[in-house]
Amino acid sequence: MNDFKSLKVLDVFRGVFEKFDIDYPIMRQIIQLKLTMDSRRMPAIFNGYKQKKESNQFLKSLWLYLFYGLLLLTPFLFLKSQYMFATSMMFTMLMFITVTTMVSDFSAVLLDVRDKNILQPKPVSNRTLSAAKLMHIVIYLVLLNGAFVVIPFAVGVYRYGLFYGLIFLVSVLFVGSLVVVVTAFVYLFILRFFSGEKLKDIINYVQIFLAIAVMLSYQVMAHSFELSQVNIQYTFHWWHILLPPLWYGAPFEVLLNHNYSASLFVLMACGIVIPVLALRLYIKLMPAFERSLSKLLSDSVRTKGKSRPFEEWCAKILCRDPQERTFYRFAALMMRQEREFKLKAYPQVGFALVFPFVMFFNEVRMYSFKETIANENVFPVYFSALMIPTVVHLLRFSGKYKGSWIYRAAPINNDKMLYSSALKAAIMQLFFPAFIVISMAFALLFSWEVIPDIIIIFLVGILITLISYVILNGETYPFSTSHELTQDNNTMKLFMAMFVIGGFALVHFFIANIPYARGIYTLLLIAAIVIGWHVVFGKKKNHGRP
Amino acid sequence: MIDQPILRLQNVEMSFGTKQVLNGINLEVGKGQIIGYIGPNGAGKSTTVKLMLGLIEGYTGKIEIFGKDIADGDYTYKGRIGYVPETAELYDHLTASEYLTFTGEMYGLGRKEAENKAYQLMFQFGLEQAFHQRLSSFSKGMRQKVLIISSVLHNPDLLFYDEPLSGLDANSVLVVKEILAKLAKEGKTVFYSSHIMEVVEKISDRIILLVDGKVVADGSFEELQEQGKEGTLEEIFNQMTGFNEQGEIAERFVEIVREGRVHE
Repeated sequence: MNDFKSLKVLDVFRGVFEKFDIDYPIMRQIIQLKLTMDSRRMPAIFNGYKQKKESNQFLKSLWLYLFYGLLLLTPFLFLKSQYMFATSMMFTMLMFITVTTMVSDFSAVLLDVRDKNILQPKPVSNRTLSAAKLMHIVIYLVLLNGAFVVIPFAVGVYRYGLFYGLIFLVSVLFVGSLVVVVTAFVYLFILRFFSGEKLKDIINYVQIFLAIAVMLSYQVMAHSFELSQVNIQYTFHWWHILLPPLWYGAPFEVLLNHNYSASLFVLMACGIVIPVLALRLYIKLMPAFERSLSKLLSDSVRTKGKSRPFEEWCAKILCRDPQERTFYRFAALMMRQEREFKLKAYPQVGFALVFPFVMFFNEVRMYSFKETIANENVFPVYFSALMIPTVVHLLRFSGKYKGSWIYRAAPINNDKMLYSSALKAAIMQLFFPAFIVISMAFALLFSWEVIPDIIIIFLVGILITLISYVILNGETYPFSTSHELTQDNNTMKLFMAMFVIGGFALVHFFIANIPYARGIYTLLLIAAIVIGWHVVFGKKKNHGRP
Repeated sequence: MIDQPILRLQNVEMSFGTKQVLNGINLEVGKGQIIGYIGPNGAGKSTTVKLMLGLIEGYTGKIEIFGKDIADGDYTYKGRIGYVPETAELYDHLTASEYLTFTGEMYGLGRKEAENKAYQLMFQFGLEQAFHQRLSSFSKGMRQKVLIISSVLHNPDLLFYDEPLSGLDANSVLVVKEILAKLAKEGKTVFYSSHIMEVVEKISDRIILLVDGKVVADGSFEELQEQGKEGTLEEIFNQMTGFNEQGEIAERFVEIVREGRVHE
């Protein structure tokens, strides 16, 4: 086990802990153990990167936060307007990042039920245990927020002086504790009224949301510097009391601009009083929180099954063989219910949904809205096909991959149908909905005349699904490999699949202006799908596995 | 010789790399028997079962199930087998209902039929409340019950049970033992491997002891007693596997526990 630097910093405060009747050496050991375990876990912000064993992923993710701090916070320091607007924007960003990482990465810390079984039977006081849990979170938040604000802090001190920096740091401290407490409250609330499975679902969706937000932020960042030209005057409205970032914009205005209006004092008071009250309430509710944690492993709310008529209908239309139909439904369920799959696949779908529009708006900025509409450029839709290879690749994996013994134990007559139906389910569950939304939007933006083009792109998408399967997967059983093996030297193959998509887009581009060509191309694509599917999944070699 | 054996293994050998796991297994099992398949860890029990189910391949020798060689590629024999694997591995983000309906359908049941039957069986185990909950929220015992249900949904003729009672409470153990006896009476064959000797001794019509990939004893409990000395199956097991160091190991273990720091 490593001796972490953060622990050495903690050693300085040893006396303080001992004054509070906390067994410091034991608390230190618990935290050391937890930090070691965490260093082997993957932060959600790194989702999709290559995993290397035995290197501290969290410390590496700090560099990323440093970078985000530079790009998301620093531009606001150059705003020419009042402190109020600029600082409030900065604290909005800070809160957003802290809340989402708190939920996605630290919920494991906050919601750890193993603590109860492993640590509580040992001779350790509850006080020490709670302290260890709290300090564990504090260490993280200090590191994370530290990395995030260090550059803006330095720039702020340089531009506005030391006093500015001091207010900034105190505000960051308050924001941090407010966020921890509010997150804990939200969990408490959910656990009180819903089951543990529901909470895990919600955490999962926040993680997915964070992944999409991170991808999109690259787009937004490019424009955030343009904002620094804007000049906005702040005027107080009563509902501003409900916006925490403004609470922390106020002190700058009061203390640096000497703007002593009553409304600003109210905001500033909120910023100080509410976190303190919330913290006291939190400490009071801590035992209740620990008690409701036992609900985490429960799924007691659902007593009825759901029926899904659309899925039934798809299964009936797309699969002739009853066993294939069964497997279609199974694959659809897996995609909908496995959180690890969703965490990796849904951001791709989200990105596929958003990217064509990002391209569209880039075009609008380059030309004009009218010209862009007149162009009827549907090619950005090809960018959403980029998700297909990744998602198809993900079908190989499952967090519970060992459950795949069932495929071999069951009497399956043609085991190629396993993947055939899994791919069909992926098309209907993931690609089709995203595609419908995009094509509806483009048809409304341009005219209904783009529909033939969009049908071509959809057919290409189906063909890409098949091609990706052949290039990337190629094996017999879906959901049968551990997630830890994701991204193993498959980047090259993914790139290959992307080139194929590019090729299809080029063909489409060249034939676009030839009369009747689109119709013929459509028919060709349909033929290619039918024949290709038959060749890959046809009922040939089903007997006599060696 | 049994005139219509349900399963027959002839000279089955298997190795993983250079490690020989099975050294020529010969077995014949008839209808309506409960076979206790026992042996120390690593003797090859699970490997034998997995070979017969086609979960792993690459053996030499001959395996016949329901009178047909399984190597000829006809998979349909699997439809008459039920299996409970040793480790309770399930796709556990599915609900019990979803998982059981899926497995039932894989074995050729209709959808409604599978779901109804699964619900009724869950009801008998007192789990009807949990029918639509995710398996990940199930306790070890509940999962084991789900696996047992999934193994019998399609009314199979041959059951492979690998440590099926693990995690079950005493009452459920009684129920499952009774179920096995009833199934055997109906003419079903149960191939039962376990490390709990008391249970094997009680329920098995015939006990097969495997050591280092070889069958070293085969017969009813009474026959085994005659072969060796009197005693429980546990004692016979120790004798036949040549293990008699328990006294010394325990002695040394406790000595180490005693050493060092003592609580004041």
